[in-house]
Amino acid sequence: MIPMEYFLVLAGILFAIGAYGVLTKNNAIIVLMCIELMLNAANINFVTFGAFANDIMGQAFVIMSISVAAAEVAVGIAILLNAYKMRKTTELDDEKLTSLRW
Amino acid sequence: MFIEYTWLVPLVPMICFLLIGFIGQKTPEKGGYFAIAGALISFILAALISYEYLTGDVYPAPVTEQIAWFVIPGGFEINLGYYVDGLTCVMMLFSSFISTLIFVYSVGYMGDQGERRKRYYAEVSLFLTGMLGLIVSSNFLEMFIFWEVMGLCSYLLIGFWSFRHPEGDAASANAASAAKKAFLVTRLGDVCLMAGLFILLFEFQSLDYATLFNSANIAAVDSDMLTLAMLLIFGGVIGKSAQFPLHDWLPDAMAGPTTVSSLIHAATMVKAGVYLVARGWPLFIQNAEVMLFVGIIGGLTAIIAASMALNNMNIKRVLAYSTISQLGYMILALGAGGYLVALGLESGSEELIVAGSAGMVAGCFHMMNHAFFKALLFMCSGSVIHAVGTEDMRQMGGLHKHMKITSITMLIGSLSIAGFPFFSGFWSKDLVLEIAMEAGSHEVWFTVLWVIAVITAFMTAFYMFRMWFMTFMGEEGHATQHCHGESPKTMTVPLMILSVFAFASGFLILVGLDAIVSFDVIPGGFQVGGGHAGGALHYFEHLFTNPYTYLTIVLALVGIGIAYLMYVKKSINPGMFNKDGESWLYKALTKRWWFPDLYNQISWKVGYGVARGVDYVDRQIVDGTVNGLSGAVVGGGEAVSKAQTGNVHDYSSMVLIGVALLSVGFLMIAMVLGGI
Repeated sequence: MIPMEYFLVLAGILFAIGAYGVLTKNNAIIVLMCIELMLNAANINFVTFGAFANDIMGQAFVIMSISVAAAEVAVGIAILLNAYKMRKTTELDDEKLTSLRW
Repeated sequence: MFIEYTWLVPLVPMICFLLIGFIGQKTPEKGGYFAIAGALISFILAALISYEYLTGDVYPAPVTEQIAWFVIPGGFEINLGYYVDGLTCVMMLFSSFISTLIFVYSVGYMGDQGERRKRYYAEVSLFLTGMLGLIVSSNFLEMFIFWEVMGLCSYLLIGFWSFRHPEGDAASANAASAAKKAFLVTRLGDVCLMAGLFILLFEFQSLDYATLFNSANIAAVDSDMLTLAMLLIFGGVIGKSAQFPLHDWLPDAMAGPTTVSSLIHAATMVKAGVYLVARGWPLFIQNAEVMLFVGIIGGLTAIIAASMALNNMNIKRVLAYSTISQLGYMILALGAGGYLVALGLESGSEELIVAGSAGMVAGCFHMMNHAFFKALLFMCSGSVIHAVGTEDMRQMGGLHKHMKITSITMLIGSLSIAGFPFFSGFWSKDLVLEIAMEAGSHEVWFTVLWVIAVITAFMTAFYMFRMWFMTFMGEEGHATQHCHGESPKTMTVPLMILSVFAFASGFLILVGLDAIVSFDVIPGGFQVGGGHAGGALHYFEHLFTNPYTYLTIVLALVGIGIAYLMYVKKSINPGMFNKDGESWLYKALTKRWWFPDLYNQISWKVGYGVARGVDYVDRQIVDGTVNGLSGAVVGGGEAVSKAQTGNVHDYSSMVLIGVALLSVGFLMIAMVLGGI
């Protein structure tokens, strides 16, 4: 049986990649994708702990989490599309987008 | 069978008030006939109720019936109902009767007021509701509500001409300020009254007359609190009945139409205060000191008001001062009589109780007589003012030839108030003096008050006849030449009816009025007044063998004589007494003993000072706190909003750092506590 640490390390690596992407990338699409990575890292953790604890709730919550993530992406991309329509850019540090804050 | 419908007595004018208010403008006289009909129906009902009560089996015990209204947690039950006894009967009879006549008179007097008559008739109907409701109330709270209804109506009616006054804007402003003054000054008394009622409610757990006037209940409560409550309630009387030192609103209240003055002075309003003392009599007589205070206030009021009437040139103001002075008499009679009863209750002397109980009769009797002759006098003065268009007596004179009916009826009223023998004022005024004399043998203060009352009787005779001679006798004044003759029938007929009563109402004491105004004061059903012990009739036995009676008659005649010499014969120049208006006393009287100045000083110094203090607290502290808080929130928000850069990287790094810190923190705590 594959030891639990392997799964946790995989999840940790995925999360680190995602976090790195979110913090460094300027393109909003890539940032969204990186967020998905982080989310799935958490999902892996969920499934792992569920399986090793012999608890079906882990998988159940992951399915829930995936559907919420799908909805979140739909909303995020819709916002992004509209932002692009209005401001003609998806660069996050662009003044045209940062000025949306207030 | 009629007593069950006592609640209709105040309800009928109330319905008239609503009818006039909604459809008055569509009816002839703008609702005047509704007002007259309402007052008349009330009078008829009152007469039927009185007849049934006075000939019924329960008499002289009161008839009362109540429905539960609401309960204040703590066992304080408030009821709503009626309370009929002899005093109620007398009061509601003369109030509704005089009001009916005044409303009839109003048709003539207010005839030229156009659309505004609707408002006038609606308000006077409500005024009558207030008075009748106050009379038939079965508890103090109900009474207080009607008391305040009257306060409101007096405000509205005194200020009736507060806009579009026939004499211009200055007169309008004057009416408005007089209305405000009447309202605020009486409010001062009402606050005291309310405090007194709170104490009564707290002590007795109830405000019902039936509970409060039960001697077992009275004996059970703290007598000091009862004394305090009665003093506070008397404060309300001082305000409403215009007693010293809150008397100054009444002369100013002359700014209203004369019919309103007549209503306020004769049938309603100021009588309510005297009625309250008579109604609360079983509570008042528990303490002799309170009654002494009541008597002193009454005596002081009588002479101060009479003095100010001596040199006033305004026909209505002379009458206003005479009202205050006569109210002083009533309060004096109640105080002196109550003092004797209180002494009698302390020492168990039945003789003193009988003597003192005549004071109650004297007060109520004088109140009734005064209602008749003062309504008459005011309506006569209204008739004169209507004819000559001025209130200044210097411009009148010689009116007798032009207005014979008004002149003669006013003469009857003046003789009555001056205490001319066999006119109604004579009987009651002498009874008042008698009581003061009687109380004087137990307490020297009442002897002083008796002397004051006798001097006042002399002054009354003088100023009333000064007024009558200046108006109807002597040379024709400037305004007399414009006089367009006698007033219309609607005005003169009420005058003639009232003059009969002003002459004859005094004889009612000889046919048992004293027994009607009576009730139990001590357990065992002892009757005040003439009911058992001879009461008032006993006094009339020695009335004409008493040298003091002749003293007052002679003084009244001398007063009339001096007035005649001064203002008709002109053989005495009034100026020689006052250095032609330059003397200190004359100026003091013209300035009304500086009472208006005193009021102004108090309201400016105290009222304005307090207002400024409150204003400071409001602007600086309350507003300051609110403004400071909102400023802090706005400033803080602006400072913190700088953290919002708009760049997703900054936010996400903050989140990550936060999560990392939290995780580390949790790990540390877990390690320290050894949770893992």
